[in-house]
Amino acid sequence: MKLDKVIAKRVDKTIYRYEGMAIKVFDENYSKANILNEALNHARVEETSLNIPKLIEVRMIDGKWAIVTEFIEGVTLAQMMEDNPEKYDEYLEFFVDLQMTTHAQRAPLLNKIKDKMHRKISETGLDATIRYELHTRLEGMPTHNKVCHGDFNPTNIIINNEGIPYILDWSHVTQGNASADVARTYLLFHLANEVENANKYLNLFCKKSDTARQYVQKWLPIVAASQSVKGKPEERDFLLRWVDVVEYE
Amino acid sequence: MNKKENREPIDKVEKLKTALVKLKEAQKVFATYSQEQVDKIFLAAATAANKQRISLAKMAVEETGMGVVEDKVIKNHYAAEYIYNAYKHVKTCGVIEEDKAYGMKKIAEPIGVIAAVIPTTNPTSTAIFKTLIALKTRNGIILSPHPRAKRCTIEAAKIVLKAAVEAGAPEGIIDWIDIPSLEMTNFVMRASDLILATGGPGMVTSAYSSGKPAIGVGPGNTPAIIDESADILLAVNSIIHSKTFDNGMICASEQSVIVLDKIYKKVKEEFKNRGCHFLNKTDLDKVRKTIIINGALNAKIVGQSAYRIAELSGVTVPEGTKILIGEVESVELTEEFAYEKLSPVLAMYKAKDFSDAVDKAERLIADGGYGHTASIYLDPLTQQAKYDEFTARMKTCRILLNTPSSHGGIGDLYNFKLAPSLTLGCGSWGGNSVSDNVGVKHLLNIKTVAERRENMLWFRAPQKVYIKKGCLPVALDELKNVIGKKKAFIVTDQFLYNNGYTKPVTDKLDEMGIKHTTYYDVSPDPTLGCAKEGAKQMRSFEPDCIIAVGGGSAMDAAKIMWVMYEHPEADFMDMAMRFVDIRKRVYTFPKMGEKAYFIAVPTTAGTGSEVTPFAVITDETTGVKYPLADYELMPHMAIVDADMMMNAPRGLTAASGIDALTHAIEAYASMLATDYTDSLALGSMKIIFEYLPRAYDNGPNDPIAREKMANAATMAGMAFANAFLGVCHSMAHKLGAFHNLPHGIANALLINEVMKFNSVETPTKMGTFSQYDHPHTLARYAEIAEYLGLKGRTDEDKLENLIKYIDELKGKIGIKKTIRDYGVDEKAFLDSLDEMVDQAFDDQCTGANPRYPLMSEIKQMYLNAYYGTNKKV
Repeated sequence: MKLDKVIAKRVDKTIYRYEGMAIKVFDENYSKANILNEALNHARVEETSLNIPKLIEVRMIDGKWAIVTEFIEGVTLAQMMEDNPEKYDEYLEFFVDLQMTTHAQRAPLLNKIKDKMHRKISETGLDATIRYELHTRLEGMPTHNKVCHGDFNPTNIIINNEGIPYILDWSHVTQGNASADVARTYLLFHLANEVENANKYLNLFCKKSDTARQYVQKWLPIVAASQSVKGKPEERDFLLRWVDVVEYE
Repeated sequence: MNKKENREPIDKVEKLKTALVKLKEAQKVFATYSQEQVDKIFLAAATAANKQRISLAKMAVEETGMGVVEDKVIKNHYAAEYIYNAYKHVKTCGVIEEDKAYGMKKIAEPIGVIAAVIPTTNPTSTAIFKTLIALKTRNGIILSPHPRAKRCTIEAAKIVLKAAVEAGAPEGIIDWIDIPSLEMTNFVMRASDLILATGGPGMVTSAYSSGKPAIGVGPGNTPAIIDESADILLAVNSIIHSKTFDNGMICASEQSVIVLDKIYKKVKEEFKNRGCHFLNKTDLDKVRKTIIINGALNAKIVGQSAYRIAELSGVTVPEGTKILIGEVESVELTEEFAYEKLSPVLAMYKAKDFSDAVDKAERLIADGGYGHTASIYLDPLTQQAKYDEFTARMKTCRILLNTPSSHGGIGDLYNFKLAPSLTLGCGSWGGNSVSDNVGVKHLLNIKTVAERRENMLWFRAPQKVYIKKGCLPVALDELKNVIGKKKAFIVTDQFLYNNGYTKPVTDKLDEMGIKHTTYYDVSPDPTLGCAKEGAKQMRSFEPDCIIAVGGGSAMDAAKIMWVMYEHPEADFMDMAMRFVDIRKRVYTFPKMGEKAYFIAVPTTAGTGSEVTPFAVITDETTGVKYPLADYELMPHMAIVDADMMMNAPRGLTAASGIDALTHAIEAYASMLATDYTDSLALGSMKIIFEYLPRAYDNGPNDPIAREKMANAATMAGMAFANAFLGVCHSMAHKLGAFHNLPHGIANALLINEVMKFNSVETPTKMGTFSQYDHPHTLARYAEIAEYLGLKGRTDEDKLENLIKYIDELKGKIGIKKTIRDYGVDEKAFLDSLDEMVDQAFDDQCTGANPRYPLMSEIKQMYLNAYYGTNKKV
């Protein structure tokens, strides 16, 4: 297997295209358990009614673990947004609808978002008081069981040649409160410096799903804290500003 | 400070578990303390906390970096002194209330171990407050401090504990978590007996979901309206005083001030003159972005000074600035200033009129202060309507008038009778279990000990019962000479009218010059239509006296006409509503006798209606019977004159006489029977057994028998007017209605069955009445037998002989043995049976019966009475 067509390259993994397949090759020091878990999560989501690339196999390639999935031929929603700015609002609506469709799915064996967030908060290295506030805030949040993509953004949506949308990259998927997922998408817009779009997105989601804006906002300190764990150093100040808030006493 | 020996810091769940076991043990001992011991401990603990108020305030500010030392001193002082003062005389141990006459006492018991979550905003005062009320109520308490304020919270707890133990409290009765974490807080909440949660919504949610009873509190977003009528000087300075108190960290503190247009300028001037800073447009935006981040309060500004917050926002203000005021318009959550700010930052709104101001306040409360506190400044002497409107519309558990809300909400400082507390309940609006200021009563389990007491009974009869053959004209004489009546309305039936029964009455009235008119269209089962017609005539005639002449029908019809005449607005459905206890009935029967005096003159010896508070009327359009019962329906005067009964036909004599007998028997067996009604019932029965056959046989030729029967019927009436009847009458009512049997006959056919039924010593269910302590109706029937001179070795024998004796009487007066004997068609009877059973069960008379009947049992009694079978029920 000759891997020479690189689709994307991240810090610790590279994605190649090979004969109608996408092959995600992890670095040697990448946790085997995490790789297998990602494959398992992917397989679980495949059992829902969402369009996602099929998982083909998990294998070793040259001593490295790799996850092999279908390759979806098409254009990302992000690209489409960039190419047709006049259609941005239309695409954004499509984006929100797709996210809501995802939330409508159930996959009872996925990890729980609150467990994940508690773990992330503990890993932030923030001072004990702030962590206590965050843990308490998280504990008081309603526990739901909706499929949450965890990294839902326009670059992870691909429209194939027949116009069918596929959602990619299920490495962060969990089940839980949809507002947490939305808060994270909102944060991603902010981190991409698209503040106006972030607000547009949030308003649209709240309107369509009949959710109060404050309800999503309550998750922001938590998702910001979680983001700070692996985030870029230059984002840290911004994230901490979002994190250090209090509830009434 | 003297550190407690052997106490290991609680920094892990395992240690917490061990500590809780010890705390529970200590509390068990504490639970046995007397009020005197507890009060001594309470005093010592409050005194110790009071002494350390300054050092604790300093520690709190130093550790949390929030608030003002001098103000925290006030809070600590308040938590020690005001709480002590409020509860020093309150009984919290053992019997706290007793009412010997009613047999009730209340006993206060501790709850056990209380988990108390302590916030950062009031870390020492809340700790003092909660530990003191726990001590006063003999509870153990474990504090879960906030990590940001743990040292000072723990120090406060140590001070209270040391003093309490020195005053005799068990070692370790107060404990705390040294290294707080969510895991430990959750654990302690689950392991405690009650949670006193003060903290963010996350904490309160956790408390409520811990499965333990929780007293949680909610967020505040207090609006303060300044009305045109307000004393502006007082209003503005109160708000400044309150808002700057501990840098705005009391949750009842004003978050917005809403000022009426007319005085806006003046109010603004006053704020300015007193050192508040109004933000210009650019600065306003800077502060907005600083105080609220994504709809949440920036932790860095909580409890900071106005100057410091301005600095953080990049805004320059003089160093001594008291409050940063943002003049804003929107009350929606898109406006950062509409939030709770926990700092000396205040929103100011201009309202075009009072109603606009209240709308704004309402919205701000909905934004984030449901159930907490609302404040208004106005002149209550001239603006009562506005005051009322505000009070009615604010969905808050505290509403303050002309008061700084920080100081006002916590109670007892600027007002009276609002409990002093640092934990303010926000009711269901705020998602809380309490809506008042939390105090000792919330930390107690109150046992109410209620002793069995018997109900008060009564004996009520008409004011006047005139008795003697030939007494009618003498009694009626009073109408003119004693009570001065002018117009009499006579109610009777056609037969009596045509046969001259009313003539002695009208003759006497004519003689006295009292005007009169007669309504004589009463049918045997009086209808609503007939009552309405009679009432109509009454309204045009306007009598001041009503004289009912006749049997039960005429007397009942006259009673109903009387009601309609006096109270045309009264609703029959309401009046006929069933009740369990006539004194506790839902419906208040209208007051009777304001227009007309009511006289009843019976012409049969049976119904007793002349002395009862009952009347039955049938709605002929629906067939529904309305049985009315209320002492308001009691006639004022009954005239029992045998002359009015001399010519009663034999059938009527038999049916009425046996009806009277069943009245007496049921009243005697009733759970509400008293010595008074017993005597009347027994006396009446004795007369009936002796004289009914003579009256039946001899009719007009036996005036003595007629007179005796007249008295017996009225005596039985008095008995059941007070003791009520039983299931025999319930069943007879329906049997008579469905199959057109005379009321007395229907009773006669059922009474044997009912007596057998009631005499069972192991009934399926006995009647519910305090006096009726065990099933003993067999013995009651035996008493009747003995009184009548019937023999028997056992009570069962006596009952058997009594039933035989009744059968003999029925035989003598021509009453047949079974329902079937009266020609009731078998199919028709069986078809109607279930309906009769349902209705008889629900009859008002069923309630007094000593055995509570199942419907199936009523059914079997009907069947036995129909076929003359003897199947045991």
